Amino acid sequence: MAAPKINFLSFTGNMRILHLSWMAFFISFMVWFNHAPLLAAMRDSMGLSDQQIKTLLILNVALTIPARIIIGMMVDAFGPRRIYSGLLLTSSFLCFGFALADTYERLALMRFLLGFAGAGFVIGIRMISEWFPAKQAGIAQGIYGGWGNFGSAGAAVTLPTLALMFGGPDGWRWAIACTGLLALIYSAVYFFSTTDTPKGSTYFKPKRNGALEISSTGDFFLYLLMNIPMYAALGVLAWKLGPDNIKMLSANVVYLLYTILGLLYGFQAIRIYQINGHVFTTAVPDIERYQFKQVAVLNLAYMVTFGSELAVVSMLPLFFMDTFQLSATTAGLVASIFAGLNLIMRPAGGWISDKFGRKRSLTTILLGVATGYVLMSFINNQWPIALAVAAAIYCSIFVNSGNGAVFAIIPLVKRRLTGQIAGMTGAYGNVGGVIFLTVLSFVSPASFFITIAVFALVVFAASVLFLQEPAGHMAETMPDGSVQIIEVK
Amino acid sequence: MSQLIVSIGQASDKGVKQDNEDSYGVYTPRDSQLDSKGIAAVVADGMGSCQHPKEASEYCVKGFFSDYYSTAESWSVKTSGAKVLTALNSWLYSKSRDDQPKAMVSTFSALILKSTTAYIFHAGDSRIYRYRQGNLEQLTQDHRVWIGQTQNYLSRAMGIDVHLDIDYKTLDLEVGDVFIMTTDGVHDVVNDATLKQLLNQALSADAICASIMQRALTQGSQDNVTCQIIRVDELPSCSANEVYNELTRLPFPPELEPGMELDGYKVISEIDASSRSQIYLVTDNANGKPMVMKTPSVNFSDDPAYIERFYMEEWAGKRIYHPNVQVTYDLPRPRHAMYFLLEYIEGQTLAQWIAANPKPEISAVTHIIEQIIQGLRAIHRMEMLHRDLKPDNILINNEGVVKIIDFGSIKVAGIAEINTPVQRMELLGTRHYTAPEYLLGMAGSEQSDLFSLGVICYEMLTGKLPYGEQLNKNINWKNISKLRYTPAITLNPMIPLWLDGALARCVHSEPAKRYETSSEFFHDLTHPNENYMRQQIPLLEKNPLRVWQIIAISLLALNGLLIYLLIQQH
Repeated sequence: MAAPKINFLSFTGNMRILHLSWMAFFISFMVWFNHAPLLAAMRDSMGLSDQQIKTLLILNVALTIPARIIIGMMVDAFGPRRIYSGLLLTSSFLCFGFALADTYERLALMRFLLGFAGAGFVIGIRMISEWFPAKQAGIAQGIYGGWGNFGSAGAAVTLPTLALMFGGPDGWRWAIACTGLLALIYSAVYFFSTTDTPKGSTYFKPKRNGALEISSTGDFFLYLLMNIPMYAALGVLAWKLGPDNIKMLSANVVYLLYTILGLLYGFQAIRIYQINGHVFTTAVPDIERYQFKQVAVLNLAYMVTFGSELAVVSMLPLFFMDTFQLSATTAGLVASIFAGLNLIMRPAGGWISDKFGRKRSLTTILLGVATGYVLMSFINNQWPIALAVAAAIYCSIFVNSGNGAVFAIIPLVKRRLTGQIAGMTGAYGNVGGVIFLTVLSFVSPASFFITIAVFALVVFAASVLFLQEPAGHMAETMPDGSVQIIEVK
Repeated sequence: MSQLIVSIGQASDKGVKQDNEDSYGVYTPRDSQLDSKGIAAVVADGMGSCQHPKEASEYCVKGFFSDYYSTAESWSVKTSGAKVLTALNSWLYSKSRDDQPKAMVSTFSALILKSTTAYIFHAGDSRIYRYRQGNLEQLTQDHRVWIGQTQNYLSRAMGIDVHLDIDYKTLDLEVGDVFIMTTDGVHDVVNDATLKQLLNQALSADAICASIMQRALTQGSQDNVTCQIIRVDELPSCSANEVYNELTRLPFPPELEPGMELDGYKVISEIDASSRSQIYLVTDNANGKPMVMKTPSVNFSDDPAYIERFYMEEWAGKRIYHPNVQVTYDLPRPRHAMYFLLEYIEGQTLAQWIAANPKPEISAVTHIIEQIIQGLRAIHRMEMLHRDLKPDNILINNEGVVKIIDFGSIKVAGIAEINTPVQRMELLGTRHYTAPEYLLGMAGSEQSDLFSLGVICYEMLTGKLPYGEQLNKNINWKNISKLRYTPAITLNPMIPLWLDGALARCVHSEPAKRYETSSEFFHDLTHPNENYMRQQIPLLEKNPLRVWQIIAISLLALNGLLIYLLIQQH
């Protein structure tokens, strides 16, 4: 009955679940980013303007912000197996819809709805934590996240070639439909070959929660504040689509959207008060206390790392194509390196954190991210391609290890609330995506990179000032093999 | 952590009578019994007309104290009190003979203060009052029957009859509550207004009792006068901080690797690790004895509900001694981290046994079930519910002895009464084996464990579950009646009809329609019950293939007949 060690080549027991889950995540990511490497083809066949293209990129990451929260609640209620299959099934039809769209409006709508596919991450995290003991959960989640995120690279590598094989102006449609078909088939595979828990254990429904628990009055207001950007990001998108910019939506519709977002924020604030109102009257016991500023800093850090990655992965193929006059296939291949490095660097970021201290690692990495984007901002058509690729790799190393470093700290902030904190952090990643892509739609790529670099510096300063090294281990092993318990209090 | 603290006052006098036939007493235990059993106060008044009134009342008080505090710590106050009083009553009654119908009779009023609740057991005409914020309330009823204006006799008391009805009630405690226990020598002459007045004096509890007694005597009491006061000075702390600090006093041990040592136990191997706990095989360096060490998963290091349950698992395990239940050891040395030690059992789980024996002999199945029932009864005798019986939680050692393991979901009646700020976790069982009433969020009973046992027995015989995946879906009040039992006979034709009937009753979706006791179930497993022999399963359910074959052949024959008739026409 010994618990099997992590053996990546195994396909039994919980390893089977891990493999099936990262594949589900891989496919959901592939669907989510299936447009990026095909943008040039779409631009040519549908005659899209530069602004329209950039708007598509923003639309793609917008719905993911609320979807992550909704999916999180649905996973609690129905279990990961059904929700993952459901997500893939829904995404596959949206893919077909996108492939068949013949007007820009329809294309935009489908892309907006496909943002739903980006919410897959949380489902698998729940699955992994049900199946793996604490000791292996970290590495299992690393494998899940790392290999799954590779999906956007997978799309970048394969889809341009696939589109060429189908050929003609509609080749991209066939390529996108193929990812939809893959998602459709895999949704059935996942449904019939997984279970929510190991045989003989119970799937716990957590206490129904519409908001995070916080533990002091100051944190209460900080939490209210930190919720604003999630709604504001959607507001920015509505404004972008409105009469001032794209002119897709009329002024009235935009005002209506603002009102809805305002109301939703109001509801959220009420819910936060319902769950946390007691902090104003009674003191929270020590064991329940934690500092919300830790969550806030991690949110912002992930906004820079994952948020910028989302933005860069969306624009990089087209950027390389336009800057260096590359073919779609080559540009896709080159751009895939950026996301592909996630495979190694995300787990590496976690490992570095464990090894060299969490605060030190994260702040150093953030500084690296800033220099990386400064470097990227200098790329122009005078550079040799090799050097440009090297700059992208340099930047990607820091961005991706940053993702890992953030998630290495999250479980240590407040164990019991890890799921919710991770969910909020993930949502901030998407907020970053929306903000950075919106910036991109107004400025040149060079200014876009500089903006991210400046933002990274600000977050670097915030984490130096406010992030606290989380309390680590409570026991250590002596050289003779006996365990020394260290009093924490 | 602050405890339940009371002040006690007592006073008693024989009054105008020759002897004092009243008995009274208060017992405040130390340590863990204060939490598990509480403080007990008793007043008893031997009936004057019986042969040995003094002995009767004394026996009631002394007997109650010694027996009540000997009951299992896991029992609820109600269970403990009821069992002890039943025994006391039959002993008193046994002293009566035909010529002496009421040899030993006494009133009995007991007050038990446990955690933040008061429990009252009462029979007879002694009284318990509560004085709270200027209000005096009589908590007990006088069991007296009046004949005319002056004559009355006791209608209920200990030792009158072999059968005894005891009044039982519970009340919430508040700091400052004063409980007054009196015999009829006091309350027959001292009215409520006077009593209130006396209670309002700024005196010690003893002095107040003395003044009440004096007042009764001066007002011409015709009986022994006894008064006892219990004043609640402090209630057990419900400060969450203190409780949590106590729970988190010991740190979580780290992940252990073979070769590592903790508190003098050497880790040999990891037996199992789940997202909730780790289980290691260890040996004690002191004597080389192999044991199982269970450690909590760091996933829950800041979850008080989990930590409380982890300790409860150990606490409950230590209180069950039975060859068919895994032993939880008393720790030979103080520990420096959260873990506990269990008996190491070499063998296989019942799940593995089921996989290895797809077509078992029915006698082999009943042999195992019998042992599970023995173990389960030991658990139920302690007023505990296992709540997570499943094939993975039943081990069969190499000698074939069955052991129930894993008290991670156990419910202990006596503990459930203790107030705590920790939100206790509920429903921890495994859905496929969990009784539907749990899934509906209701409290369980022994019948709920019996349900799980029935499911296990069914699975051993058929390899399948009686409700398939139905219990794994969302169960609510609307769809619970749609749960359909799959007759075992359709999966294993070797199963006799009466056995299938017994299984169906054991896993009935309504607890009231199940067997009342496990032994009843076992009897029906081993002896054909005629009720289940008569009820025939429709052939369509028993053998659908044969039904369709018969239908097809009859139709074919009918067709043949038609063709023949048609040909005949021409």
